[in-house]
Amino acid sequence: MTTEPALAAVDDDAAPLTHHQLRELYTLMAAVRHLDTSAVAWQRQGIIPGYAPELGQEAAQVGSGYAVDRTRDFVFPTYREMGVARAMGVDMVGYMSTHKATWHGGMYNPLESRFAPIQAVVAGSVLHAVGWAHGQTLSGAPDMGVAMTYFGDGASSQGDVHEAMNFAAVMNAPVIFFIQNNGWAISVPTDRQVAGGSVAARAAGYGIPSLQIDGNDVVAVYEATRSAFAHCRAGNGPVVIEAMTYRRGPHSTADDPGRYRTLEEERLDAGGDPLERFKQRLLAEGVADEAFFAAAQRAAEEEEEAIRAGIADLGPRPGSEMFSLVFQEPTPALQSQATAWREESEHV
Amino acid sequence: MAEISFPLPDLGEGLIEATVLDWLVEPGQQVERNQPIVELETTKSALELPSPQAGKVVRIHGAPGDTINVGEPLIVFEVPDDTAGIVGTVPKDEAPKRRVRLSAVLDED
Amino acid sequence: MSETTTTVRSIGDSTDTGASDVQQMSMQQALNRALDEVLAENPKTVIFGEDCGRLGGVFRITDGLQAKHGEERVFDTPLAESGILGMSVGLAMAGFHPIPEVQFDGFAYPAINQIVCQIARMNYRSRGTLPMPITLRVPSFGGIRAPEHHGESLEALFAHVPGLKVVSPSNPHDAYHLLKYAATRPDPVIFMEPKSRYWQKGPVDVAHAAHGQATHDAGVDDGGSLTGARVVRDGRHLTLVAWGAMVSRCLQVAELAAEDGIDVEVLDLRWLKPIDAEALARSVGKTRRAVVVHEAPLTSGLGAEVAQLITQSCFETLKAPVERITGFDVPYPSGDLEDEYIPNIDRILFGIQRVLEYRRG
Repeated sequence: MTTEPALAAVDDDAAPLTHHQLRELYTLMAAVRHLDTSAVAWQRQGIIPGYAPELGQEAAQVGSGYAVDRTRDFVFPTYREMGVARAMGVDMVGYMSTHKATWHGGMYNPLESRFAPIQAVVAGSVLHAVGWAHGQTLSGAPDMGVAMTYFGDGASSQGDVHEAMNFAAVMNAPVIFFIQNNGWAISVPTDRQVAGGSVAARAAGYGIPSLQIDGNDVVAVYEATRSAFAHCRAGNGPVVIEAMTYRRGPHSTADDPGRYRTLEEERLDAGGDPLERFKQRLLAEGVADEAFFAAAQRAAEEEEEAIRAGIADLGPRPGSEMFSLVFQEPTPALQSQATAWREESEHV
Repeated sequence: MAEISFPLPDLGEGLIEATVLDWLVEPGQQVERNQPIVELETTKSALELPSPQAGKVVRIHGAPGDTINVGEPLIVFEVPDDTAGIVGTVPKDEAPKRRVRLSAVLDED
Repeated sequence: MSETTTTVRSIGDSTDTGASDVQQMSMQQALNRALDEVLAENPKTVIFGEDCGRLGGVFRITDGLQAKHGEERVFDTPLAESGILGMSVGLAMAGFHPIPEVQFDGFAYPAINQIVCQIARMNYRSRGTLPMPITLRVPSFGGIRAPEHHGESLEALFAHVPGLKVVSPSNPHDAYHLLKYAATRPDPVIFMEPKSRYWQKGPVDVAHAAHGQATHDAGVDDGGSLTGARVVRDGRHLTLVAWGAMVSRCLQVAELAAEDGIDVEVLDLRWLKPIDAEALARSVGKTRRAVVVHEAPLTSGLGAEVAQLITQSCFETLKAPVERITGFDVPYPSGDLEDEYIPNIDRILFGIQRVLEYRRG
């Protein structure tokens, strides 16, 4: 006989979000929405060769990223966490540079940003989060940092995710598995991907408490993530959060969703637009007025212009970095290849 | 490049035609899937029709005020016939460029 | 220099007397057609992988196959490469001929355990009672400005594994015939598709090298069989050895070298395991100089294997050590630096020059 493990009630006295925080969340979501849709336009204009949109996942990303304590926590993203990066204050030119094809992983400093390099392998970094989290346990610091690893319904099929959850539970590691279940892994819907229909449901098998939440409700996402951080920080081990959301856009700018889903299905399945939902709530609760929303939109547009200018100005990295960044201690063979490259290529 | 033509869809409940109120896109424009492309009026309501796909608009059919029957052409998109797939770009076959000349005295043996 | 007639060998100017049916198509179309025919001809063939079904694959290689052959024979799997390859083993044991797809080269890494420890060994382990007729399609190599892990060259890794065969076509004709051939073999074949060449059209003689006769037939006009290398350009002074997307680059280099009076032969290796050592010996035995070109990193790359085979057969007559022009010993770079990494025309010309001016003693 097993019982569903529960989240330790360590977050009971957490204060509700202030009006200022609620407005800040909206401002972040508006910035992310505008940057995301703009990045698709950049690709159409030839500014960047490709992009993986997160349209529709703003609440899941901003709400969770907002709960991170950047002085001690560490986040392990995939390639579709632009909203998390923005909420955490990652340098967005550095972030977007990976889509400019400047440098795999992006140009921001992951150590300073508390945001690991952009990861192209689905589930590639889930075990890294467990390792980092166990490192917190081993170092025994009183103000323990927590790892949060992002992955999707598609990645949950990878064996590494099982290994990561099992390790984390066995080692009682302070790690949050944050799943954005956005309904689609490229062309494959969740019901053809996730047996049983829920990634969160698997947590019980590992004895890990889990929360399945409305991933399009930014406040619900924030509060769940904050509770999970408190649970982990108090030494209670890992938490699984499954944020139910929807990938409203294509998998990437080269994808054509018309091949596998109709507009009608999108309309029915996507649910309410998380940005619009939050706006209506703020209006209804008197937290913000139309002037605020207009200002948030203006700020988003100014921010996007600055990032676009930064991306457009971003020249290619010197080719010498191909060689100098392979090792901390380069080998003679590699150095001689670098010399040959310098002599024989028309290099950048 | 290939062209894809989209007919006016059945806007529901057995309607057989719609009147163009206003086009929101024009030929030559790049549109995204789901972007509103045209305002239409039926006997029941006015509505915005979202783009069925991303692509460049080649032609639009019907000026404001014109009536279009369900199944008749509404909009034509241009799509590349050699898309890159899910990521990346299709490399262009370019004329080779060189800096290096070969200078060899070959033994004719 | 004596006068020579340069012959670029192409499909279509066949010396074969059999009927030919030459059609223009891209490699993507050629591969799609080959899979369609294999499905039609062998009811035990099944195709699966990530997005292979309804979407038709991210490169559209399986486009339309699910609609035509049904969801039981062409299907999407959950997103797990180790699962895809591990399941292939079981399907093969059950008498099927699986043609799994790994969506991108770099995603073969998560499946290495199943490929190396299981697929490659099951025939041996079972003393020949459980053959592994698995054709693993891997969109491979770089050149398309893709994200990380979407531009890897794993041929040396695969070729090093006992029990695997490895092949990579360079043009639509070979893609069509080699895939049909590989997909009817009783052993596992890693089929490396040069993704930067998916869209260029070329002539495909679909009548030629008919299914079932491939093994010993003259598969193509130069007399090479589907199991061997192919001379794609005749030359007298030097042999460029390449495979995949580097073949077309080497053909460009050969044209440029001709401007300088150097007559370069281009040998498309095609099979990377087993390597056609006889073709290497024939070609370099004639030209006495060789440069091998590949995208993969230099160290322990297949260029070393090719150089050794040439040395073994041509040591007495070689004019110079075999040169290797390759990618560098660095992780495959982001799009902005891609052209710095992939062997370019000048680097290949430099390599040719070094070989040409080499003097013994």
